[in-house]
Amino acid sequence: MAAVQKLYPRGTVKRIVKAHSNRSVSKNADILIFLDYMLFMQELMREASIRSRKSGEKNISANTVRKVTEVRCLRSI
Amino acid sequence: MSTSTPNARGRRSPFGTATPSGDTTLTGLQRLPSHTRYPLTPSRLVTATTPGTQRSTSRYTPRARGVGAPATPYGLRARQQRAANTPGRDRRKSGRMQRETTFDILRNLGRALAPVSQPIRSSPQEKPEPIEEPIDEFEQLDNEPEIERPRLSLPIQESEEEGEEASPEIHPPRMSLAFAEEDMDMTYQSVEYPRDASIRDRDRLSMMSRATGRISGDFDETRLESDGADETGIMGEDDEAEDTMMSGGDFDRGGETEDLGRFHFDLNFPSPAAAPLEDPTGGDMNDMEDFELSTAEAPPAPSDDDDDDAGADFGFGLDFPPAASPSVSPGIVGGGLRDEAIPAQGKQKKISRHGIPVPNLPAGVVKKLATRFARSGAGPKAKINKATLAAIEQASSWYFEQASQDLAAYSKHAGRKTIDESDVTTLLRRQRHINNSTTVFSLAQKHLPKELQQDMRLAMPP
Repeated sequence: MAAVQKLYPRGTVKRIVKAHSNRSVSKNADILIFLDYMLFMQELMREASIRSRKSGEKNISANTVRKVTEVRCLRSI
Repeated sequence: MSTSTPNARGRRSPFGTATPSGDTTLTGLQRLPSHTRYPLTPSRLVTATTPGTQRSTSRYTPRARGVGAPATPYGLRARQQRAANTPGRDRRKSGRMQRETTFDILRNLGRALAPVSQPIRSSPQEKPEPIEEPIDEFEQLDNEPEIERPRLSLPIQESEEEGEEASPEIHPPRMSLAFAEEDMDMTYQSVEYPRDASIRDRDRLSMMSRATGRISGDFDETRLESDGADETGIMGEDDEAEDTMMSGGDFDRGGETEDLGRFHFDLNFPSPAAAPLEDPTGGDMNDMEDFELSTAEAPPAPSDDDDDDAGADFGFGLDFPPAASPSVSPGIVGGGLRDEAIPAQGKQKKISRHGIPVPNLPAGVVKKLATRFARSGAGPKAKINKATLAAIEQASSWYFEQASQDLAAYSKHAGRKTIDESDVTTLLRRQRHINNSTTVFSLAQKHLPKELQQDMRLAMPP
């Protein structure tokens, strides 16, 4: 991605993780966390597009995303 | 010789007339490339390539060649004509019988034996191999290719659509239901039913404190022995009516159903239990979550109210426990699985379960990522509308929550106060994003811009 703009706000990611974990985040760990997030998004969108295509929709609808999310919760992490 | 003829005054006259020995130098020169010696006819050129002719040309003595070489155009033409008409000495060898060499003999032998003979195996070489194998087995196990990431989505999805209530694989045992409904189900299992029922009745009788007047101990005994034969019975005598009465009463008492309920859940629990075992967040975090759960939203709490409504919970029992404990948990952020999207917009400031306000990822970033990956999945024009984006944001907030809890658990386990790069790599490895063939760096190279890659490399020397 030729990002002229920054890919993501590093401070925000750090703050999110910090808030949820109640621990400080080392200087560059947020990059890896965001990398993981990107992979998550990739998979989410892949699953959603598969599912929406299966049910014959053109675009990915909110409902498919929600369904996929629940499936992910089942298996997840 | 060639110079002697008066006709030889063509191109060659300067050579020919120069010296008497010019003849020999000329032939000497011409000898070097063997087949260019004659301005050849095509046929000769072809034959010259076969080894046979090669040999035959080498058999020329210089003397003979000197004789044979036509120096004059006339002589040359005459020779060409002759060569065209008659097969010359070295024109065609293929038809002629060749002398048998030792090689030919061997070859013939080989042809004769080839279909018959077997390849030779030496016996001692086979034995060491099975001894080596057990060692190889271990190495193979070690070097096995990495297991692919499981993609559970499709099968689960299908099963979800099939039956909301019960999972397709585990059917609820039918015995209890058959007994519960009365004579209607006598048709199947009717052979077993009477005997079974009578035995059970006896047990129940012993359990029961009250004894109705009619069923005395004696009567029970006799029924076991004598009536047992009759009771394959078709007709509702007094006995059968009583049987159903009895069983019905017992069901009312509830002992049986409770047993069944317990049985259901013994079946169900192993599968959810597997997930939390993997989950390193386990320990205290789960406990805390459960606590919060029970206060915030009572109904889905998996463990307590199983016994009451066994049949009804059956479907949920499969679905909820793994989903509920790790991900829905901190009720404050997600609120639950069912109501989404809209509250995500509404609550701008969420508060984590540690009481720290959680900022949102800016919607632009999320949308950019989503469109990027949706494009790679669904073709160039994948649009993401507002509701979808909201759902995605919800999903990603859940993701961050879960991920950071996991990271906290990793760092805690390592005895650190901060979440480190190594924690994240551990997480990535557990999610099977990293394995032997994929490193963090290759992933980063694939997804991240250069500056971030550099920072990452600085942070974690390989």
